[in-house]
Amino acid sequence: MSGNPETGAAEPAMAFEDVTVEIGGVPILNKVSARVPKGSVTALIGPNGAGKTMLLLALLGQVSYKGTIRVNAARIGYVPQRLDFDRGLPVTALEFLAMDRQRRPLFFGIGSSHRKRAEKSLRQVDASHLAPRRLGALSGGELQRVLLALALSQDPEILILDEPAAGVDVAGESLVCEVLSRVRRDRPMTQIIVTHDMSMVWAHATDVICLKGSVRAAGPLFILTQEVLAATFGVHMPRPGQCRVAEEPPDA
Amino acid sequence: MPDLSPLYALVSHLLPFSFMEARFMQQAMLGLLLLAPMCAAMGVQIVNFRMAFFSDAVSHSAFTGVALGLILGVSARFTMMGFGVLVGVLIIAVGRRSLLSQDAVIGVFFSAAIAFGLAIVSRDRQAARDVSRFLYGDILTIGDAEIWCLAALFVILMAFQVLAYNRMLYMGINRSLAGAHRVRVPLYQYVFAALVSIVVMFSVWAVGVFLVTALLIVPAAAGRNLARSAGGMFWWAIAIGAVSAVSGVIISAQPWAGTATGATVVLSACALFAASLVPASLRKRHAR
Repeated sequence: MSGNPETGAAEPAMAFEDVTVEIGGVPILNKVSARVPKGSVTALIGPNGAGKTMLLLALLGQVSYKGTIRVNAARIGYVPQRLDFDRGLPVTALEFLAMDRQRRPLFFGIGSSHRKRAEKSLRQVDASHLAPRRLGALSGGELQRVLLALALSQDPEILILDEPAAGVDVAGESLVCEVLSRVRRDRPMTQIIVTHDMSMVWAHATDVICLKGSVRAAGPLFILTQEVLAATFGVHMPRPGQCRVAEEPPDA
Repeated sequence: MPDLSPLYALVSHLLPFSFMEARFMQQAMLGLLLLAPMCAAMGVQIVNFRMAFFSDAVSHSAFTGVALGLILGVSARFTMMGFGVLVGVLIIAVGRRSLLSQDAVIGVFFSAAIAFGLAIVSRDRQAARDVSRFLYGDILTIGDAEIWCLAALFVILMAFQVLAYNRMLYMGINRSLAGAHRVRVPLYQYVFAALVSIVVMFSVWAVGVFLVTALLIVPAAAGRNLARSAGGMFWWAIAIGAVSAVSGVIISAQPWAGTATGATVVLSACALFAASLVPASLRKRHAR
């Protein structure tokens, strides 16, 4: 499981070693071992029920697991697939972003430095106009942008996105891809994208981990052959030749 | 213990009603002015976490706490407080480790606490009489010592709100997201559960087991209807808690009313909640 020559530094950003997760006695993940190269955009792919989200939850410490997960980063930004929350809660997008860093309670107002920082995060995802809106009044795509702004405001060394294109229209997906490319250009960052949207993988990823209960393949994107895809998804998936951003070795 | 007379004088000066000349009314007013805003502030998080059933379970465990005190020959106030905090913390601990939903876990503890209390009380008639006092509460019997305890609790809870409001709000929106972004969710959950349990037990003295949840939930729910922001919700809840306390004491003291003070405070809060529905529905219509 070597890393991409472009991104495969000796020290990975993250390493899973024999990670096993069982829920109610049912095995969800079985001895998952893989490395996420530092500076890479690693796509975690697999069919529904493959355990992609469960691996993220283990990584975030929200389910108990056996094995080892090594993280070489002080700050992680996380964009969940869907935010289950009480939509009647009177919290504005600006407050949502500010409360993450601000120590002073929100009932004493938002400090000017935190306000500027929150506004900057919203600008990064072209969502300045959402600042005064209630979180519960945002559409799925708008909420996704605010969540991305929140994750970026962590100044993360590792950015984790769970199905960023789910429930988002074509323009929204394109915006997410554009923002991810832009922030990666602007500062060194490892991105882990959980997705089964292969167009996003081809367009954006440099590395890939194929999961189906256990790791079926892992490494640079060029390992993603039709055989690997068939073994992972159980069906043949034609590989599109267009919208490729990352470089691919000629012999792939 | 420092003399509270200047505070009582201030209360009767600010509320120049004839019934406020009685010391026990001044004490009741001061006690409620400390308790109601505290409950309202904690209620903001209880509403955000959808934990109304949690406060119900803790308040009903007061019943068992009192019975335990009588059996062990210890002051019922200590056993009530200790048992309430134990139940609150255990609900969180079991809920975190179980695959059951939080309300199912609370339901189990709720039933166990009540059944345990009833089993103890059924063996002792004296215990039954003592326990019934806590079902209805009586703020008019509050003394200086209790007011000092309430004042200390007020300081602790407001310090908690200042330190933890943003983190608690974060958890109220989504615990997984808060945890992923370095909020120490278990720590805040346990501290919050213990503090809510203590507030609930103090409230049981004032308004009784049946009305505790209302004192926590109603001002916060009304505040939520009126607020346009997360910060605003806190102030609205506190204001509604304080206004209901004052109006509840005043109304209950009127000869034409002659109602229990705790119940009247809760009814005042409910009236304010009903009024808060109007701007909430107007805003909803405007948003469409």
